[in-house]
Amino acid sequence: MGRTDLRDFKKGIDESFRNFTREYGEAIENFFDPLLYFLVWLEKLFLNTPWPIILFVIATLVYLGSRSIKLTLGAILAFLTIGYLDMWDDTMATLAIISVATIVCISIGIPLGILMARSQRTQMIITPILDVMQTIPSFVYLIPVVMLLGIGKVPGLLAVCIYAIPPIVRLTNLGIRLVDKDVMEASEAFGANYRQKLIGVQIPLALPNIFAGVNQTIMMALSMVVIASMIGVKGLGVPVLRAISNQYLALGIMNGLAIVVLAILFDRVSQQFGKRLQAHTESSK
Amino acid sequence: MNKILTGALVSITSIFFASTSFAGGHDSCGEITIAEMDWASAELIANIDKIILEQGYGCTVELIPGATMTTFASMDTKGVPDVAPELWANAVQTPLAKAESEGRLFMLNGAPIVGAGEGWMISTKIMEDNGLKTLEDVLERPDLFPHPEDPSKGGIVTCPSGWGCQIATNQLFKANDMEAKGWMLIDSGSSAGLNGSIEKAITRNEPWFGYYWGPTVLAAQGGLSLLNMGEFAGNDNWDNCLMDPECADPKPSGWVVSEVTSVVASNFIDNGPKAGKDYVAKRKFPADVMMSMLVYMAENQAEGEDAAYEFLSRHPEIWTTWVTPQGAALIKRAL
Repeated sequence: MGRTDLRDFKKGIDESFRNFTREYGEAIENFFDPLLYFLVWLEKLFLNTPWPIILFVIATLVYLGSRSIKLTLGAILAFLTIGYLDMWDDTMATLAIISVATIVCISIGIPLGILMARSQRTQMIITPILDVMQTIPSFVYLIPVVMLLGIGKVPGLLAVCIYAIPPIVRLTNLGIRLVDKDVMEASEAFGANYRQKLIGVQIPLALPNIFAGVNQTIMMALSMVVIASMIGVKGLGVPVLRAISNQYLALGIMNGLAIVVLAILFDRVSQQFGKRLQAHTESSK
Repeated sequence: MNKILTGALVSITSIFFASTSFAGGHDSCGEITIAEMDWASAELIANIDKIILEQGYGCTVELIPGATMTTFASMDTKGVPDVAPELWANAVQTPLAKAESEGRLFMLNGAPIVGAGEGWMISTKIMEDNGLKTLEDVLERPDLFPHPEDPSKGGIVTCPSGWGCQIATNQLFKANDMEAKGWMLIDSGSSAGLNGSIEKAITRNEPWFGYYWGPTVLAAQGGLSLLNMGEFAGNDNWDNCLMDPECADPKPSGWVVSEVTSVVASNFIDNGPKAGKDYVAKRKFPADVMMSMLVYMAENQAEGEDAAYEFLSRHPEIWTTWVTPQGAALIKRAL
């Protein structure tokens, strides 16, 4: 392509995107408004609740999820350290957005994975899209997302989900496809319909994979915290960015480690929870 | 005072250089590293410097991508890159003064871009439509700039995390008692976030209020102009309170006069070609020329290098006054 053609081509794309945002930007933004208010509300809730209550809730959740005293004590200790090192507010903000991101990703990702497992064609269409979502540098879509939705929590959440959703979709699909053919035949022989097969046989047997997907999704969402902060999401990413541009080594490492602590907690609890869920289905069979 | 200082520096360095190597000139240049900062005007100047030093004075120039803080830290501690063509000195004032007094860094050019400025910018149109003139007028009308997360409050877009202007903006927010007047800060996060928020305002015809600088394409396209923030309330207030997040009672103030400078490391002073140093000290881009180049870059999505060639072929009357006649001839041949 010639230089001028290429330039016109690029300008054309830019212009049509601008027209698109001019036309539909407001409508799309309004569509996401409930999500925004929910995020704001949740963050405020996390920030304004006295810390002992939050700590108690976290410890309870960790215990209910993992049934492990050791992990619960570890979580309490980790959060006390975070509070002691004055990272509580940022950690709460991050926790709020990551929790919502995880819920959004899972509630879109699992159905998508089931759809993908159902037909070869959907798999053929969705797989390359997932590839793009996982590998395209996030900086590439930051500006368009910001132009469409402005800076703040919703575009941040979108950026996080674009990156974090593929593993749950892929692993749900894989898990269902890996379910033994004989088992499926047996269930069909008993006259199970599609819904019964899916809920009674495929999903329970695919649980290990689905949980691995949930796990990866959470981890990837946490790794996007800093990127999300680049478009104005409050949380642990902000001090990390400040540390990067000012060479504050300790600040960077401390907040980076706080992200790691959150990741490990989410990971261990969801793993244990998943294992217990599977143990339950196995014993009940 | 800056001019005198720069002038003195240049003359000192030229005397120094003349006495150490008369043979200087074309062949003795060697390798030079130039910081290419991540915004358009800095990209452009870095590339112009590269072409002029390479073609005119036989240097081998390597451009090193950077941002204000990281590049400055590297220059201050390692002496690399040799040249920062467009350094916004406010952000690094104290360490820069220290490095200068210790002879590690030199401010060769006190104002490579004439008329550059930063501060709180605001959509000119909404100012005129509502008869607003000063910051005080604007602060009375938070309803004109609804905050995205809480439309009942006004929003002001702050500077990206880690930039010096973020501290100043947040402290000025406090100083002007803006929370009580119904305002909330909007975190921009990064320069991408900041630019994106202006882009969005432009495409949607929304008013915009926040920290930005000029001359820039976005400020021009967005119809933004610097807001009259009142009198500058003294260096003590600015340096020790508005630039210190811990300071409890900041006083309102106009934005400090921005010093855009070209800073070089001692290696460039010691080993760079004299003509090259003269060039760095002399080059000053008039505001309108810089603006037209930035618009050219935006309209053509041109990179710094393309724009540098465009500038050199479009405005020989400007850059030939910066270089020696021999240098000019060599550069013209290379275009």
